[in-house]
Amino acid sequence: MINVAIVGTGRRGSRHAANFAQIDGCRVKRVYDIVAANAENCAEPLGAEVASDFGQCLADDIDAIVVVTPTDVHAEYCIKAAQAGKHIFCEKPMTRTLDEADQVVKAVAAAGVKMMVGHVLRFSPEYQTARQMIQEGQLGDVGMIRMARINLMPGGWYGDLPRSGGVILDMIIHDFDWLLWTLGRPERIYAHGLYEQLPALDYALCTFRFPRGTVAFVEGSWADATGFRTSFEITGSDGLLAHDSTESTTLVAQRRGEDDEVDGSAYLPMTPTSKSPYQIEDELFIAALENDIAPPVTAQDGREAVKLALAVLESAQTDRVIYYA
Amino acid sequence: MSDKPRIGMISFAHMHAFSYLNVLLSMPDVELIGIADDDTERGKQVADEAGLPYLNSEEALLERADGVIVTTENVRHREKVLQAAQAGVDVMCEKPLATTMEDGREMISACREGGVQLMTAFPCRFAPAFVEARQMIEAGDLGRILAISATNRGRNPGGWFVQPELSGGGTALDHTVHMVDLMRVVTGQEPVTVYAELDTVYNPGLEVEDCGLLSIEFVDGCIAALDCSWSRPPHYPVWGDATMTIIGERGNVAVDLFREHLDYYNNNDQSYTWAGYGETPDDDLVRAFVQSVRSGEPVPVTGEDGLRAVEVALAAYKSVEHGGLVSLPLQQ
Repeated sequence: MINVAIVGTGRRGSRHAANFAQIDGCRVKRVYDIVAANAENCAEPLGAEVASDFGQCLADDIDAIVVVTPTDVHAEYCIKAAQAGKHIFCEKPMTRTLDEADQVVKAVAAAGVKMMVGHVLRFSPEYQTARQMIQEGQLGDVGMIRMARINLMPGGWYGDLPRSGGVILDMIIHDFDWLLWTLGRPERIYAHGLYEQLPALDYALCTFRFPRGTVAFVEGSWADATGFRTSFEITGSDGLLAHDSTESTTLVAQRRGEDDEVDGSAYLPMTPTSKSPYQIEDELFIAALENDIAPPVTAQDGREAVKLALAVLESAQTDRVIYYA
Repeated sequence: MSDKPRIGMISFAHMHAFSYLNVLLSMPDVELIGIADDDTERGKQVADEAGLPYLNSEEALLERADGVIVTTENVRHREKVLQAAQAGVDVMCEKPLATTMEDGREMISACREGGVQLMTAFPCRFAPAFVEARQMIEAGDLGRILAISATNRGRNPGGWFVQPELSGGGTALDHTVHMVDLMRVVTGQEPVTVYAELDTVYNPGLEVEDCGLLSIEFVDGCIAALDCSWSRPPHYPVWGDATMTIIGERGNVAVDLFREHLDYYNNNDQSYTWAGYGETPDDDLVRAFVQSVRSGEPVPVTGEDGLRAVEVALAAYKSVEHGGLVSLPLQQ
């Protein structure tokens, strides 16, 4: 039995907690949040203990720590966890700064623990399929790759650039990781961003030049009220491959309220598969611990994505072309 | 001038000429005086089919015309527009207005000196969705415009479009100018920097680029990106698109100017295409030109507008050549 402790029980942390609780051979033993009420709400349905301080999550009965806090404190928790000999699952982005990323990688290596970073697109079937088709050459030589990730500004600490890194570090790092995973490092980067508009909104237009003529464009929006959506379009000498999450919706539900008014909120599954990519990544982390193998996304991968996202942010902030690879 | 302005057409090298001709043929208040074309066979065939006179020279056409539409290959715009200016005839020129800044400046000054109007054929300005978005923006509904993400993607048009000695460039010249024009309208600002990535990917061996992405910044800080690629496959259900997502301080608006369509699955050739319906923006474009010829009112899209858009495309080439940001206006 692998006992995990969840650190940070906001919306995403509670989701991970529920996911881990469903995995055979895994138990959510303890949860911790700086807001005790949040921790209690998360712990209660799972029968988990509430830790009154983070140190209790490092006790001998815990095997792994799941870090789902605001980004700027990821490094602190990850390093303490590694030093206590705990395996780590950390939400993306792995850290707020590259220096912190280096420290985390070092601490994990020194402690000989396993670490996985939540770059969840690697477990989304539409993104997996697109990567596979590129690598099998089904699109020929790839020209333009357009990717978009559109949402409202989430509020709270996300609106604080020094804490979250804005839409570039927090959200479209998903797409950056997919590009790194699929194509390797870009040769150069140029980006524009509206980070100065935070906390009202953020928006980014990012260009990447990869070897062999491939150009990637990533649009990230925290300025859209029409609901979360993602899309990509990959064009090559042998074809065009396109995805739009709003056009792959397999279930839409509407609830009628007490007053017979239709509740306009629709349920959009992220993917028409039985397991969400979030569930899959959590299961793969536990499987890596059980089988003593490397997790599918490592601390080094997490560092690569942070490094690229910070270069994009630097380009946007300095209005300069960054020669990268 | 009579109530019926006399309009002529010079060249059917550009496929848009056929659409403009159809609009003119549908207008009862226009006297369509004929067609001139460097390609005699092509000109005669089009004239015969439309039941119009074919004229052996532009001079003969310009002698009788109040206004002409120039739809030659890009590099020949200059010559034909200068002829119209000298003959004192208003002219609407296909985009891109010119292939060099020098040509464009010469065309604009010749028209000014000749006392004729020079209009650039930017039909997207007349697309109903854009007209409505523009009204919202000009009424201040979105506040200041902060960012624009645009696409103007199409198929490889082939023919002279991919021969640089006739086209002046590939997809960056062909598909940058429409959207840059719309960006200038909605921001009310001029571009100040351009960064571009251009390459030839979809059609290996092509003499011009077919894949392109421009990053543009405007005077007031508005940021923009434009995908101008010929990335639509030959069997794509529609020729291409023209889209803009516009982020304002107080709201967003997204336009997809050619989105209206019927899905058409044809059993005979196993094809799936978009069947268009309604008017095309070319209707209002051509009507606006004719109205300006008739009334002497200023054309709604000027030669300067056309050249400003060309300048961004030329800056994109310069960016790729030098590998960095290019400042506007371009140095001589």
